[in-house]
Amino acid sequence: MTGFDLFVQQTINGLTLGAMYSLLALGFTMVYGILELINFAHFSVFMVGTFVAMGALQSMGIMGQSVILTGLPLVGVLLVALAATMTVCGCIGMGIERFFLRRLRSVKGPAQMITTIGISYILSNSVLLFIGGQGFNFPNPIPMLKYHIGGAVMDVRQPLIWAISAVLMIGLTYFVQSTKLGKAMRATAQDPEAARMMGVDVDRVVLTAFFLGSAMAGAAAVVFGLYYNYTNFYIGFDAGLRAFTAAVLGGIGNVPGAMLGGLLIGIIETMTSQFISTNWAEVVIFSILILVLVFRPAGLLGRVAPNKS
Amino acid sequence: MLTRRNTFKVAAGVAATATLGVASGAHAATVVKVGIDASLTGADAAAALRVVDGAIMAFDEANQLNTVPGVTFAYEKFDDGTATAGQYDPAQGAINARKMVSDPSILAAVGPEMSGVGKAMSPILSAGGLITITPSSTNPDITDPKFASIYRPADNHAPVYFRTVTTDAYQGPNMANFFAETLKAKKIFILDDSGAYGVGIANAFEGQAKKKGIQVLGHEKLDPKNPDYTAILTKIKSLSPDSLYYGGVTQAGAKLAKQSYDIIPRVMKGGGDGIQGADFLTAGGFPAVEGWYCTIAGPHLAGTDAVAAFTQRYITRFKIVPDDYAITSYDAASVIVAAVKQLAAEKKPITRASIRSTLLTITVPTLQGPVAFDANGDIKSRIVSVFKIERDAKKAVNDESQYVYIGQAPQA
Repeated sequence: MTGFDLFVQQTINGLTLGAMYSLLALGFTMVYGILELINFAHFSVFMVGTFVAMGALQSMGIMGQSVILTGLPLVGVLLVALAATMTVCGCIGMGIERFFLRRLRSVKGPAQMITTIGISYILSNSVLLFIGGQGFNFPNPIPMLKYHIGGAVMDVRQPLIWAISAVLMIGLTYFVQSTKLGKAMRATAQDPEAARMMGVDVDRVVLTAFFLGSAMAGAAAVVFGLYYNYTNFYIGFDAGLRAFTAAVLGGIGNVPGAMLGGLLIGIIETMTSQFISTNWAEVVIFSILILVLVFRPAGLLGRVAPNKS
Repeated sequence: MLTRRNTFKVAAGVAATATLGVASGAHAATVVKVGIDASLTGADAAAALRVVDGAIMAFDEANQLNTVPGVTFAYEKFDDGTATAGQYDPAQGAINARKMVSDPSILAAVGPEMSGVGKAMSPILSAGGLITITPSSTNPDITDPKFASIYRPADNHAPVYFRTVTTDAYQGPNMANFFAETLKAKKIFILDDSGAYGVGIANAFEGQAKKKGIQVLGHEKLDPKNPDYTAILTKIKSLSPDSLYYGGVTQAGAKLAKQSYDIIPRVMKGGGDGIQGADFLTAGGFPAVEGWYCTIAGPHLAGTDAVAAFTQRYITRFKIVPDDYAITSYDAASVIVAAVKQLAAEKKPITRASIRSTLLTITVPTLQGPVAFDANGDIKSRIVSVFKIERDAKKAVNDESQYVYIGQAPQA
C-alpha cells in the first residue's frame, strides 16, 4: 500500500466511524437545542438499541455470521430491524422525558442532568443483570463484498452505512426546517415562553425531540452492530462520549454541526491511529476540541439559538 | 495501603485467629474460611464462574469426605468485576482484599483470576499476612523479587501470592518460540490491551521474539473500551506482517478478532490465556476466531482421561464443562486443604501464618501433578500449552473443544 492508498483507506474508515458518531450526536444536539440539557442517558439508549437490533435480527432467524441474505430479503430484514430498533429506542427516550425529566423541568440547576446520568447507569446495569456481561456476537446477514479503490479496500457495509446515515440526517434536517412540528421545535428552542404563548404545545415538542433523538441512537445502534458484529453492555460509553464531543465540536444544538463534528472526529481518530499512534487518538481529539472551543466557543457552526438568554 | 484503623483490625484479627487456632486442637469443629475472588461481572464472567466453581468443589468435597478431621471449610465469594469497568476492576479487587484481610475468620484465599486485580490485592494481602493462591493470573511482576517492596512489603517480603499456573515470563516467551519454530513467523506486529496482564505478556513475547530473529514491526496498545480498531488494523495491514500477537483479555480481544478477520484475514494470529475460553468464542464468533492460536500457563488437562472423574463430578454439579483454569482453581483449593491437613495432623495451630509457612515446604499431589512453590510463591512447573481454534460444527460455538490442543510450547 502506498501512502496515498493508506490515506484513502483511513478516510473510508474514518467516514464510517464518523457517520455513526454523527447519528449519535444528533440525539444530544436535538435535546440540548431545546432544553439546554445534556442527556447522558443517550449513551445507554444507544447501547440498549444494539440489543434490540440483535433480538430483532435473531427473531428473524439470523444467527451470527452464518445466514447471508441478498436482494429483497436483505433489504426487508434491514428495514424491519431499523424500524423496530428506532421505534423501541424512540419510546425509551420518550419514557425518560415523560416520566423522569418532565417532572424536573422546573427545577433549576443540574438535577435533570444528574438524573440522566442515573438513568444511563440504570439502563446499562439492567442489561448487565438481565442479559449478561459477556460480549455478544451481533448477527450480520450482509454478504462480505469488497471493492478495491486503488490499493484501498471498501467493505460493502461502509457505503451502506453512509447511505443509511445520509438518508436519516437529510430526513431529520427536512423535518426540523420545513414541517410545522419542526418549526415549533425551533421556536421552542429560541424561546419556550413565547412559543407557548403562540400556541405551541411545548410538552409535545420536547417529547418529539426525545423521540427523534433516541430513534437516531437506535439507527446508530443497528449500523454499529452490522459494522462491528459485536455488542456489550458498556458499549455506549466510549462511542457516546465521542458523539457528545462531536456535538460540541460542531456547535451543540446545531443539526448540521453535529454531522460535521461526527465526521471530523471519525477522521481525526483514524488518521491519528495511522500517522501517530492509536494510543494518542483521544489526546488529539480532545486537544482539537479544546482549541476549537477556545477560538470558537460556540463550536464550528455555532449554536442554533443565539437569541436565547 | 491499609488505613491505620484497618491495620489495627487486621492485627486484632490475626491475634483472634491465632487464639482460635490453638483452641481448635481440642475442639471438634474448627471452621477454616477461605475467600474466593474472581471477575464474575463483565466480559470474562463465564471463565470466572468456572474458576470459582472449581475452588468451591474442592472445599465441599473436603468437607464431604472429611479430609481434615475436625476442620470444616467455608468460603465467601468476592467479585472484582464492576459494571463501570465492564470487566475486572483493580479498585474493586483492592476493596475485596481489604474485606478479606479485615475478616479474622478468613485464613486463606483463592484468586484473583486477573493479574491487574492481583497487583492491587497483593500489597493489601501482604499487610494482612493473608496468602492467596491464584489459579490463572500470570503477570510475573507480582511474585518477582525485584518488585517485592511493592507487592509484598510486609513481613520481610515473605511471599503472599502463590500460583498453580506458571507466569507470563514463560507464557509469552514460550509462545514466541512457538511462533518462530513451529509457525515460522518472520514479521510480526504486537498489540496489547493496556492492562497489567496484557502489557506484561506482550512485552515478554516481544523480547523473546526479537531474540528468535522475528522482525517486530510495531507494538501498540488498544483501548479495551473503544469499539473501533479498524484504523490500527489498516496501519498493520500496510506494514504487511505475516503474524499478529495480541496480549490481553476478551474485552478487546473479541473485537480485535472480528475486525482483523475483515482487514487482515490471512495473517496468523495468536494470543495468551486471556483469549482462551468460552467468552472469546461467544463474543468473537465464527468465522472470525477461526485459526487463532492461544496458550494456557499450565499443562492441558481439561477433557482428557487424566481428569475424567473430576470432569464428571464438575458437570454433574454445575452443569457446565470445566476448562483448564477450573482445574488449576480446584488444585489451588486442594493445596490449601492439604496445608490445613498437614497442620492438623501435626497438631499445630491453623492460622494465616502457619498456612503460609506450610505452603513453602509442601508438595501436593493435584490434578495437574505434584504442585510445589519456589521461594517467591511461583509454581515450579514451567509448562505452557498451545491451542488453535478450529471449528467443529457439530459442537456448540462456545464449546471448549473448539480449542484444539496443539502441544506444549518450546520452553524458553
